[in-house]
Amino acid sequence: MNCERDEELLTRGLRALAEEMDTLDAPDELETKLREAFRTRAVVVPIARKQLNSRYWLVAMAAMLLIAISVVVVRWRASDVNGPTIAQDTPQNNPEVVSKPAEEPAGDVPYQAVDMPVKRSVRRPVRHPALPRPQNSQLANHTANEIATDFIPLSYMNVASLQDGGQIIRVELPRSALANFGLPVNMDRYNEKVKADVLLGVDGLARAIRFVQ
Amino acid sequence: MDLNPNDSELLRSMLAGDEEALALLYRRRQGSIYRFALQMSGSKTIAEDVTQEVFLFLMREGHVFDPARGSVSAFLLGVARNHVLRRLRVEQLLAPLGDDSDDDVQLLHPSTDLCPLEDLTRAETIESVRKAVLSLPSKYREVVVLCELQDMSYEETAEILGCAIGTVRSRLHRARALLLAKLRPATEAEGEGSATVKSARCFA
Repeated sequence: MNCERDEELLTRGLRALAEEMDTLDAPDELETKLREAFRTRAVVVPIARKQLNSRYWLVAMAAMLLIAISVVVVRWRASDVNGPTIAQDTPQNNPEVVSKPAEEPAGDVPYQAVDMPVKRSVRRPVRHPALPRPQNSQLANHTANEIATDFIPLSYMNVASLQDGGQIIRVELPRSALANFGLPVNMDRYNEKVKADVLLGVDGLARAIRFVQ
Repeated sequence: MDLNPNDSELLRSMLAGDEEALALLYRRRQGSIYRFALQMSGSKTIAEDVTQEVFLFLMREGHVFDPARGSVSAFLLGVARNHVLRRLRVEQLLAPLGDDSDDDVQLLHPSTDLCPLEDLTRAETIESVRKAVLSLPSKYREVVVLCELQDMSYEETAEILGCAIGTVRSRLHRARALLLAKLRPATEAEGEGSATVKSARCFA
């Protein structure tokens, strides 16, 4: 009952407010302003629309150009990756392969020459992770599985003289050669040969040696 | 030529460059837009700005009106609603604390056909209802303004607000409950006061 009375009073109050505001209008000068704006707009709109259209085409052309450039760059990079990266694997100042015996402290020993680069040139960074490996990777894998001593200098030479480059050759020496360098020798395998890498300078002289297992 | 063109025809003529069509459409619809903005914001300045913005929008973007989606009147009130809400958000951020705006609507207009006491009571009631409406959250306020103050149907209100009719109904129900809660002391006093006024008038 009380609720109904409240509802009725509220409705009456709202109706009174609506009646009170029913006569209110926007000021007259607003119409004048709008008419002026309308006249101005009649001239401005076509120009603005034309500008909008030209801007649209400009953006569209820029987008097309960007896409075309992206395609060219992607293709160029792809061809560069498949290109002659292997050719750059050869070291700088790499002399011709010389199968020359090293200066051996242990006298005359048979050897097998194996070309190995001393210095590797700086590779161009290749982003593709699944590139085919170069063919000499088998050798790299093979040497990666080997255990080797540090290089032991063979003469009283300056280390700086090796900076000109050089060549490593793989040789086989009698196991007694280990003793000449102060390394322990297994007497049970005394007759067997041991592999070693001899570092040759650019002049062809042996500079250092390391033993490989 | 049609002597009494409808709003859609006026809009089409206006977009074709007919200034008189704009004037006619403006005179026909400015009142409801202005009042809506005024009832929503309580500020004459905002109401004037919003009315102007609505018609400027109509000049610029009038071609977006789709007759299949509703009337021109609903379209204009929908635009007005967006402008009012945007403006209120800005005002809320910028208004200093304790600001008593000079352009607040004062509705204490004297009427001639009531005795002074009854007139004063009525004016006070109107003012308290107006303040209560303005204090509602905007989603309830706009429903009250459109349905109760602008006397629009639920369908028209739903069209303007872009929601379902059921939503309008439930919001209006909630809004009335909120208004009652805000006005309860006043309505109780009015209930007692109206009897006093009657008796005062009777014994005057």
